[in-house]
Amino acid sequence: MRILTLLFILHTFLFGYNYNDMLLKAQASIFPKIMMLDKKLEEKLIDGKIVYTIVFDEEDHDTALRISEFINKNYKNNFDKYSYKINLVKFTDLSIDTNASIIYMLNSNKDIKKVADIAKQKGIITFAYDINNLKNGLLFSLMLEKSTVLYLNKENLHTQKVDFVDSLLQMVKFIDKGNS
Amino acid sequence: MKKRKIQSLSRKIVLSITLLSLFALIVIFTVFEKINKEAFYNIEMEKANLIARTIEPLIAINLYLGLNNDKIKEISLQLIKNPNILAVKVMQYNQILSEIKSMEYDNNIESSFIVNQTVYKPNSQEKIGSLVITYSNQNYKELTKKYTNLTLTLLFALGALFALFSLYVKKLLSPLRKIAKSLKNYSPDREINFPYISQNNEIGLISNALNDMQEKIIQYAKKQKNINQFLEEKIDEKTIELRRQLYIDTLTGLPNRLSLINDIVGVREGALLIINIDSFREINDFFGHIAGDNILRKFANRLKSMFDDVKYIELKRLSGDEFALFFMKKPSLEHLTQTAQKLIFDVEKMIFFHENNEIAIRITVGGVHQIDGALEKADIALKSAKKQHKSFLLYDEKLNIEEQYKENMEWVKKLKKAIRQDKILPYFQPIYDNKSDKIASYECLIRLIDSDNNVISPYKFLTIAKKSRLYNKLTKLMIKKSCQHFENIDNDFSINLSVDDMLDPEILAYIQQNIKKYNVAKKIIFEILESEGIENYEEISVFIDELKALGCRIAIDDFGSGYSNFEHLLKLNIDYIKIDGTLIKNLDTDKNAQIVAKTIVDFAKRLNILTVAEFVHNEAIHIKVKELNISRSQGFYLAKPQEKLKHS
Repeated sequence: MRILTLLFILHTFLFGYNYNDMLLKAQASIFPKIMMLDKKLEEKLIDGKIVYTIVFDEEDHDTALRISEFINKNYKNNFDKYSYKINLVKFTDLSIDTNASIIYMLNSNKDIKKVADIAKQKGIITFAYDINNLKNGLLFSLMLEKSTVLYLNKENLHTQKVDFVDSLLQMVKFIDKGNS
Repeated sequence: MKKRKIQSLSRKIVLSITLLSLFALIVIFTVFEKINKEAFYNIEMEKANLIARTIEPLIAINLYLGLNNDKIKEISLQLIKNPNILAVKVMQYNQILSEIKSMEYDNNIESSFIVNQTVYKPNSQEKIGSLVITYSNQNYKELTKKYTNLTLTLLFALGALFALFSLYVKKLLSPLRKIAKSLKNYSPDREINFPYISQNNEIGLISNALNDMQEKIIQYAKKQKNINQFLEEKIDEKTIELRRQLYIDTLTGLPNRLSLINDIVGVREGALLIINIDSFREINDFFGHIAGDNILRKFANRLKSMFDDVKYIELKRLSGDEFALFFMKKPSLEHLTQTAQKLIFDVEKMIFFHENNEIAIRITVGGVHQIDGALEKADIALKSAKKQHKSFLLYDEKLNIEEQYKENMEWVKKLKKAIRQDKILPYFQPIYDNKSDKIASYECLIRLIDSDNNVISPYKFLTIAKKSRLYNKLTKLMIKKSCQHFENIDNDFSINLSVDDMLDPEILAYIQQNIKKYNVAKKIIFEILESEGIENYEEISVFIDELKALGCRIAIDDFGSGYSNFEHLLKLNIDYIKIDGTLIKNLDTDKNAQIVAKTIVDFAKRLNILTVAEFVHNEAIHIKVKELNISRSQGFYLAKPQEKLKHS
């Protein structure tokens, strides 16, 4: 039993977090679309492109890469009329200077609040793989329950640089301190 | 008589308002029905659209995000809970993603709206699907039904309201009918008690006004009645007065001519005396009309007192100076004559006074001893008495006066016709000089040629001509035609002139004019009739002087027949004396005539006046005329008057 526990710890340490592939794909499919529902998306373009920044821990590089490939395969270099670029950034490399139109945060044990603060400063949308990270200031997450459910951190919505279509807000489930 | 149909004003008012309102209501109802139904439809449609538009973004985002269909079905199920939504169908690119129908779908599908809402990609205009909502029109039907019911109720209520209003208006105006009914048989004699006087409204005002008017009419009628009564009385008085005036002479108070005429008609037997005051005109002219009237009044009173006691004799005044005694019973002829003569005698003794002047009058009386045509016959008798200078004459059928009157009138007609047709001609009788037995001159004698070409002598028409004022015309004709005839004949000629002719300035002017025109001043001799009795010697003298100044000569005709005296004749400066025929016609045997003729001839010779013997109708007389040294002779023995001149 001790060996199994040790193997699991080692595996996690060596090979990173064990992501739900279905969830990853669902998020990779839906989060760009949600990003497109931002009425102020134009303001967030960098060199006329959407920079879809995926922040990950070092050990999740492969996961980030797979997500990147999945997106490219699905969207074929364009989110609607916008061309995009996927920017894979290690958590440790993330700074205010990192190019990003949105930030998709994979799972991490680190201080997620840093991501939330940078996003807040940049006024960009953040998506979290893990719904729990919404507590740390990230904006969206998606869960596969009986049906696909979008979660939104109501506390983090109040940024002047983000303005979603109303219908999006009608279909999301809100997370706040009270019902977290 | 057909009763006049009354057209109710109230009914008209209500009917007009009702029709107008009904028309307005129908128009409003129709318009509102259409507008409201359309509005209800639009509302329901809008509701369905609103639902579709509301739900579309949610559908859109679900479709867009490509989440599972459960979410869309969930939304559709929530929609279908709305009882008005019969079905919800969501399609993505013509592919049905979800279609849910309610339980009522089959029952209401025929009467439903279909709302097809395009689903756009959020934050984009890209069409990604469609939402089809089948919406029940049950609500719409209910609404329109409710609206129709409400409107019909309203119409019914309005109808009832108008009916009530009609009754109310009729009730309001019914007093007018009652007032009109009471006025229908209005008469000023009968007072009407107008109803509704106490009402404080228009009806009350009308009633009060009519009542006031009635009072004024009654007062006016009373006044009119009094005036009429007064006028009737006055008319009666005036009628009596006029009637009195009609039959009574206002000056003397005696019954007048009309009264006499009535009385004559009213009796079968009777007699009449007409009394005329002689020369009463002179009294009027000399003393004035007031004096004349005064004398007439006094004369009337005296006559009245003379016959007051005789009941069957009534005194009348016929005209100015004419009175009448009407015998209502026929008296004996002797009594009538005696009455007339006594009257004449008594009147001659009467003396009337005027401003210290004694005025005596004489009367002429004409009488008739019969009632038939009494007035006319008495008048004829009076005229005859005047003519004959008798104081009394009784009408006698033998006088044939009426026939004379008729004949006179016929002669007037004949005269007028002859003048008109130029049938008055001068005939010429020669006057011979007794020494040379040659024609010295011609006397122009007037003749009338009647319609049968008979030559009529002047004694038949000259008197009538004088009465009918045609004499003046005859004189002028003779002057003109005679002068014209002798214009170019070298013979003297004479024309007869009456005293009236000489006193007429118009005739003098006419003579002067014609003498000058035809240049006969030295040939013409004017014969003046002495028998007429020349009274105005001065005026005649002026006339003669005027003519003698022209070179004319003057002869006195019928000398010895009148009352002229030689002294006056001397003053007239005459040239010839024509001895009256009555002296000449028996001159051969009548010694007295011979003496008078000789005296005249001697007198004339001393004055260098030539003498002419008229009526020389046989040889013996002609010889005698010559013996007496009468200068000239004229008569049938020597020559009759001819149309053309006889030359010696």
